[in-house]
Amino acid sequence: MNLLENILSWSTLTFLMILCAFILARKVYQFLPLFAIYCGVLLISTLVVWSVYKVSGFNSRFSYFAYWSSVLVNALARSLAIVELCRYGLRAYQGIWALIWRVLAILSIFLLTHAAVDAWGQPKRFAIYAMTLDRDLAFASIIVVVALLLLRNYYGIALEPLQRAVTLGICIICAVDVIGNTIFRNIFTGYLYSWFLTTQKALWPQLDSQVHHVNDVWSTVHLLFFMLSVGVWCVALRKPLTARQKKPVLLPSEVYRELSPAINLRLASFNTRMVELLKP
Amino acid sequence: MNNVAIIVPVVLVISVVLVRLLYPRKNSSNTADSGTQGIPVRAMIEEGLPAPKHFQYFRQIRQALSSADAEYLLRMAPKSAAKQALRERRAVAQGFLKGLHEDFSNLSKLGRVIASLSPEISHKQEAERLKLTVKFQILYAAVWMRLYTGSLPMEQLERLTGLVSRLSARMDEAMTEISAQSARNMAETLGG
Repeated sequence: MNLLENILSWSTLTFLMILCAFILARKVYQFLPLFAIYCGVLLISTLVVWSVYKVSGFNSRFSYFAYWSSVLVNALARSLAIVELCRYGLRAYQGIWALIWRVLAILSIFLLTHAAVDAWGQPKRFAIYAMTLDRDLAFASIIVVVALLLLRNYYGIALEPLQRAVTLGICIICAVDVIGNTIFRNIFTGYLYSWFLTTQKALWPQLDSQVHHVNDVWSTVHLLFFMLSVGVWCVALRKPLTARQKKPVLLPSEVYRELSPAINLRLASFNTRMVELLKP
Repeated sequence: MNNVAIIVPVVLVISVVLVRLLYPRKNSSNTADSGTQGIPVRAMIEEGLPAPKHFQYFRQIRQALSSADAEYLLRMAPKSAAKQALRERRAVAQGFLKGLHEDFSNLSKLGRVIASLSPEISHKQEAERLKLTVKFQILYAAVWMRLYTGSLPMEQLERLTGLVSRLSARMDEAMTEISAQSARNMAETLGG
């Protein structure tokens, strides 16, 4: 690790500790338990990976597996936090929740299947496999969050400020992961692929500096944006949380049964007239 | 999915959309009593729908945009002044069409708000409303283009506004009826 990476790693660890302290102080685990677990996982995995680096060295095989395993564990915890974001505040709206969870579940199944198929087709190297899976999970997360926000916007159900900050932070991490992992995956499966092949061992000394340079750049970019996300969460949690939204008082079922078909019928006849307007 | 030239712009565009969705320009409150998107649903059920705002000005606008007026202008006024006046009249008509769009949107929005506050909804109805709204947006753009190019007769616009007005009136009736029915149900429930 170079000096910049050392500074960034220390800062990340400090930010994560502050974040976990805020989560405990504001009792976030009471209403967003999976997000609280995600933050805990981030802190623990950072500490574990760092300890492994200290014990067995930054460039050891053990560190390599520890790092990529932590990437997958973090991606899994992040996915659970996103599931929680989808549920949060919408379950009280029984009618549309029944529709929204089905839409999001179908979308998630499609995207996760794509992620599995994409990762399956990668060269049999743990780093490339993990990088592809992490990238596809991050992409799936962004798509699911965008779909969720579109549906919430369509029905006019806004997110609370904390959930908004959580969503923004997660999406920053995901967007950077998708872009970074795509670029670096292409480099590692392209001209640096020899680095993973024992049959090409003779080339390793020549590639060594390039591989480390690529790793350094990716680590720096990743850590910078990761710190930005953690910073967004810390800012959202710096003040005591405002009272959460009350459960909505639902209308009697007849209102929807009576009005919805009438509205649709009228909208349809309105469109018919618009079509007539366009006839020459 | 490994092409950097595709992935990077796609993710950047999605990120912009996401930020816009997270931080929309208008702040909308959504408490149960105020309804969603700032529509006071309960008040509407009790008092009925407000009349479309723009329809009431249709007569004045139609008069201002009548073909007789246009012909008179072209005959009597200098060419540049007549052209300027016609441009302005077209702008007024476009503004009016926008107003009709607003009236339509409000009614459609009401449907969504009612859906969000209902304990059960029909997926078919929701999908249909979404489809109709998308179709309306496309048709509106097409009508707007025709108006912009000056090839939309005012009589057709009048028929359109008439439809909005009738729609609002019937919705108003339906709301009153449902309000009364809900009150009756509630009274029955409370009375045991």
